[in-house]
Amino acid sequence: MAARDLGGRPVLESVYSVIALVFVLVACAELCDAATVVDVYRLIQYDIAGAPFGSRLAGLNHHASSLHFAPGADLSRTVLVIPVRDLNLGYVKDYLSQRQPLGGLLFLLPQIFSFESKENSGNGEELLKNIVMELEQLLIHTNIPYPVYFAFENDDINTVLADIKRNDESGQPATATTGGYKLVVSTTEPKKVASPVISNIQGWLPGLKADGDPNQLPTIAIVASYDTFGAAPALSMGSDSNGSGVVALLEIARLFSLLYSNPKTRGRYNLLFGLTSGGPYNYNGTHKWLRSFDQRLRETIDYAICLNSIGSWDNELWIHVSKPPENAYIKQTFEGLSNVGDELGIKVGLKHKKINISNSRVAWEHEQFSRHRITAATLSELSTAPGLFENTGSLADSRNFVNEAAVIKSVKLVAESLARHIYGHQGKNIQIFADEGSLAVNPSYIRSWLDLLSRTPRVAPFLSKNDPFVMALKKELEEHTEEVILQNEVLDGMFTFYDSTKATLNIYQVASVTFDLLLLLVLGSYLIVLFSFLIITTRGLDDLISLFRRPPSRKVKTA
Amino acid sequence: MTVFHFFNCAILTFGPHAVYYSATPLSEYDTLGTSVKAALVYLGTALVKLVCLATFLKVSENESFDPYQELLKALIGFIDVAGLYFALTQLTHRNISQNHKFQAVGLGWAFADSVLHRLAPLWVGARGLEFTWDYILQGLEANANLVFSISLAALGSLMWLRKNKPKTLVPIIYACAGIVATMPSITSYLRRGLGWHFPKVVGFELFTSLAMAFISWQLFSACQRPSA
Repeated sequence: MAARDLGGRPVLESVYSVIALVFVLVACAELCDAATVVDVYRLIQYDIAGAPFGSRLAGLNHHASSLHFAPGADLSRTVLVIPVRDLNLGYVKDYLSQRQPLGGLLFLLPQIFSFESKENSGNGEELLKNIVMELEQLLIHTNIPYPVYFAFENDDINTVLADIKRNDESGQPATATTGGYKLVVSTTEPKKVASPVISNIQGWLPGLKADGDPNQLPTIAIVASYDTFGAAPALSMGSDSNGSGVVALLEIARLFSLLYSNPKTRGRYNLLFGLTSGGPYNYNGTHKWLRSFDQRLRETIDYAICLNSIGSWDNELWIHVSKPPENAYIKQTFEGLSNVGDELGIKVGLKHKKINISNSRVAWEHEQFSRHRITAATLSELSTAPGLFENTGSLADSRNFVNEAAVIKSVKLVAESLARHIYGHQGKNIQIFADEGSLAVNPSYIRSWLDLLSRTPRVAPFLSKNDPFVMALKKELEEHTEEVILQNEVLDGMFTFYDSTKATLNIYQVASVTFDLLLLLVLGSYLIVLFSFLIITTRGLDDLISLFRRPPSRKVKTA
Repeated sequence: MTVFHFFNCAILTFGPHAVYYSATPLSEYDTLGTSVKAALVYLGTALVKLVCLATFLKVSENESFDPYQELLKALIGFIDVAGLYFALTQLTHRNISQNHKFQAVGLGWAFADSVLHRLAPLWVGARGLEFTWDYILQGLEANANLVFSISLAALGSLMWLRKNKPKTLVPIIYACAGIVATMPSITSYLRRGLGWHFPKVVGFELFTSLAMAFISWQLFSACQRPSA
């Protein structure tokens, strides 16, 4: 009976401790999350003539931290998670320019920049867009020795971010000893893209040749560059630059194919449609395309109209030329466009920028034509020439910021002025492509193509030779025009690109080493208590005491 | 998480079995053979149980609680009791007292159960990067299971091996044995029928295991008194 009384108290005590432990566990268990998986898009990695730019690494396995980290903390094994919404650009600029060590960067883009979002862009978004574009230019032109990724905000990642922020604010930066979140991207080392291919597509609408006319018909070329370049190649959709131009070109081809299918309305001009690649790389594709023309063909081209970024303007468009405005063709084109523009309520301005042959930078597509002695002009909403990789399909250039109405108006402007030129109706107020007529611009055609372009990343080095998108473009041009040719050329060797543009990010909630040590301690004491308890209940307290007494006595004997 | 975490969880899952063996007189009388035999019987029983489950149970598409299926499952669960009966009565043990025999059988039984049901998930899961409380809870569950197994073995030895027990206690013994034997069905009901979360279920298991252990201990000593 005495033994049972002795045993009773430890039973109660252990029951209490177990109950307490259970309560602690129940309280903690609600904090647990399962691993979160997020699609992430890597910052582009490329070399210009051997000089490295962009994010130079792809693999990631570090703890996450927010911008609220403790000052002076060592971040070389930490990934900063920065939502673009509350980004301090100056801070990032400083950080990059000082080349401070960092485990990695993860930028969270608002959903408005993804194709899925159907939000309308307001004023705040306009501001956000500018910030993203500025950030992008900064990242593209810097050599960053750690991985940089972009991801879209969603509920999962926002919860994680809120947790990280809370931890950071409580002064516990995430490290191995304090736990927190671990971000893991397991990919292989980025490899060079071997000989990137650029594909140009051309199609003809031959004009009606008068019987017995020995001269060749003059040609008017309509050109748009379709590929993009952005901070994240897998997100570089370029809805405005230059998706809008491609859509406008396809619609113009469709309209004129209707006119040219009837011999009565077939004009005395050949129309040449060109979808060129390599636009961001000084219009390298245009250069290759023009070089492939033979001399006679080149001489028949009266002029070329290049369409560039015509999807998000209000009421002002610009015609950029490199020949003096006094040039006859330029004058004629500009007057044609501005007359139609006046009727449609569009202000068309003229900008003249001379080309510098010694400078390898080609800011506008028409400059490549001018270098090949073809008169050309670019129609664009941009008032000044963009810099390298500027306005070539930025992250912020998404479907939400493109106005269908603007594209439709641009199509009308170009098609109407072209038609007046071809059929000799200059200065007359005749609407060939009137809204209600059989030749009206088709808004649903424009919308569907704009949607397709806005969800297809089109960075040329990552498009394969027979990419489905290029094939779709070719097929669409074949619908409307004849003699469609797909021309594959190799991008000039100055640029080198690296793959692994897309990855999956695993976010793990990890426990710290400290926690494990503590757990070991708790478990050890639990086992010891259990051991003592069992000995006391089955053999009595004396046995337990003697268990501890015996070893020292033995030691004494051996000594 | 890491190997460290796996190590911790393994200690929690399998440690108590070792401690129980070394702390009680089981180690003094060298009853390891009995435990091993009980573990082998457990393996055989588990196999028979699996065959029965596969034969008689439908695969449920959803996680809902189907009373008929659960009843069937509980009945199949009684195969465990049959296995335990076999281990306690039919196996020839070395000449050890009843007192130690049921402990050795219960220990072997619980250890085999832990190895069979918890070692593989632990090895696969606890070494992953993501931290969850699941494996720690699973370890606690293993502890509760050890207590249940020994209680059941104690009650079984009272039922089948002890001849001269007080008549009044017999229904209580049977009732307790019934409760302990249907414990898997009760927890499954709590988890799926009432939608309890894992921590709550484990807490319940720990609590009831201690309660049942206490009751069976009292019953055992009450039965021992008249003979002593």
